[in-house]
Amino acid sequence: MEGKRSGSQQHCDLLRKIREFTRAIVEELSNGRSPTILIDRFRNYCTNPNANCCCSYDLSYGKEILTFRKESHVHRLDILLRVLLIVQQLLQESRHGSKRDIYYMHPCIFSEQSVVDQAINDICILMQCSRHNLNVVSVGNGLVMGWIRFLEGGRKFDCINCPNMAHPIPVQVEEVKDIVSVARFILIVEKESVFQRLANDQFCNANRCIVITGRGYPDIPTRRFLRLLIEKLCLPAYCLVDCDPYGFDILTTYRFGSLVSKWPMMQNICVAQRYAGLELFLQILKNTVFLSSASFLLQEKTRGKLNPC
Amino acid sequence: MGDLRKSSMRFFSDQNLCYADILPPSEIRARIEVAVLNFLRILASPTPAISDLPLINRRSSNSRASKGLLTQVSCVFLSHSFCTRSLMRANTAKAFIRVWKVMEMCFGVLVQEKRVTQRELFYKLLCDSPDYFTSQLQVNRTIQDVVALLQCSRYSLGIMASSRGLVAGRLLLQEPNQEVVDCSECGLSGHAISGDLNRLETLILNTDARYIIVVEKHAIFQRLAEDRVFNQIPSILITAKGYPDIATRFLLHRLARAFPDLPILALVDWNPAGLAILCTFKFGSIGMGLEAYRYACNVKWLGLRGDDLEMIPEQSLVPLKPRDLQIAKSLLSSEVLQENYRRELEIMVQHGHRVEIEALYFHGYDYLGKYIAKKIVQANYI
Repeated sequence: MEGKRSGSQQHCDLLRKIREFTRAIVEELSNGRSPTILIDRFRNYCTNPNANCCCSYDLSYGKEILTFRKESHVHRLDILLRVLLIVQQLLQESRHGSKRDIYYMHPCIFSEQSVVDQAINDICILMQCSRHNLNVVSVGNGLVMGWIRFLEGGRKFDCINCPNMAHPIPVQVEEVKDIVSVARFILIVEKESVFQRLANDQFCNANRCIVITGRGYPDIPTRRFLRLLIEKLCLPAYCLVDCDPYGFDILTTYRFGSLVSKWPMMQNICVAQRYAGLELFLQILKNTVFLSSASFLLQEKTRGKLNPC
Repeated sequence: MGDLRKSSMRFFSDQNLCYADILPPSEIRARIEVAVLNFLRILASPTPAISDLPLINRRSSNSRASKGLLTQVSCVFLSHSFCTRSLMRANTAKAFIRVWKVMEMCFGVLVQEKRVTQRELFYKLLCDSPDYFTSQLQVNRTIQDVVALLQCSRYSLGIMASSRGLVAGRLLLQEPNQEVVDCSECGLSGHAISGDLNRLETLILNTDARYIIVVEKHAIFQRLAEDRVFNQIPSILITAKGYPDIATRFLLHRLARAFPDLPILALVDWNPAGLAILCTFKFGSIGMGLEAYRYACNVKWLGLRGDDLEMIPEQSLVPLKPRDLQIAKSLLSSEVLQENYRRELEIMVQHGHRVEIEALYFHGYDYLGKYIAKKIVQANYI
């Protein structure tokens, strides 16, 4: 639920929600009742394969009820509250941490990383926000170059001076301000090697554009940054991917969001995109595409990609 | 002073050390042409034969350690043992052909005065000769074969390293006639180290730091950069996000040469792979043994070490995997590993567990900065 509000406003809202949530639990307990916590369940696949896929993916299809009456629930709530405490600390101190860092803070209690991951997902659903709103981030993986200039947390990214120099995409996308660009389109490439080839061939000298790569499957900061650029600059976006199931999967991740995440962050990430069919790229495509004439057999894994359900 | 070091190394191990020259494209093209002419000469001689390719052996059996005489820098280098790729033997026939195919590709690249990465070379070869090349690893090994055959550096062949390392902290970088980049203002992500060795060579460096901290993992680098640890302890942070690539080592070596009074301290996980990464920065590697020795630096082991274990809760200890034990074995068998590192490694293997640096977060987020500061102040590094 990305609002147009500033980052600090969102932090305050979240801290308030955390306090209210905790207060509700304490009140129930002091009245001698077991608190009831409702966590929405979401589906991440289409239920009707014959329909035109405008299914309401963003509506929950039921709720999970956690109470103190079951021991497994108590354990789960214990973990959730501990993680919530750490998240509150991160927000109050304006710090960022990764999921792994959180696990290591109490490794005895969080017996496994997956336990922490589930707690973070639950908190995202309860607070109706995305993971990055909780200041839980991982290392940034995207790169950007081209005719763009912006500020991030006091630092100036000036790609206009040398449009063929790659810069890492900032992880704290809410800190990105003052975007100035003279580009005419945005080009998204799947692979780092293609990105580097474009940089070495001084692609941005001949073309007024912004080139972005997520180096494979794009992470959240890359997708958020892309969405920010599209909103602020209103430029068409073209995507250059390999002609194989992984390429299409990456294309759909940019377009619709990830199938893996349960909470529909998709509304944050939807981007109007077009498939790259420009003549210009056919030369590069020839070198990077597994042509059918090379009789490249689809492995089982890639075949599996075609049927995610 | 740099020249003195170089010549001292030559003096000490001149007869034994094999090195790859860094040459301009015209010379490499000449070497390739000579290789082809030699082959044809023997083929067209009265007793025709298909000559084998003599390659400098890149195995540990051919590696030697050089303990610096006038310097404190030890390194690993390759000696004059050769292995041959022959068309006449069934198991090396394909490898033989691969070497020629890569040489042909590189010749083409040099003629066009371009630079390609190993990945691009892989795709070109895959389209060109799919029968002989099936994986990136094969292409990388074949490139090293060509380096061993022609005795020239990979960069001279027109193959560019990809940019993988990051640097942050109290360092001012300037490319000639460009703006100065202040690495302390680079945010969480740091400044990306270019893969082009020529560009790195011409960088103008300025610093007021007192230490250089080499970090194994990207996540730790990001944490230290976010907390601006380099302002509390005046330092430069550098990471290769895992096993170091040539470009990162090149830059570290340049920093070590430009600022010889700055101790270089490494922060790695307590496991054999972490120590292996430290050793690669410190001594070089066998895989790229003909070039890697040039960039050896006097890196010291800051953490994590055996005596830090008392600060780590038991649950953060993870059992060693078979791969870890394999790495430990090969490290222990290397003659360049110094005594105190050997002891630490033996403790690691005996203990049977490994620890990640993130385990220190048990004491709070800011504990890592304090830990580093304490160790530096106590000069607790080996």
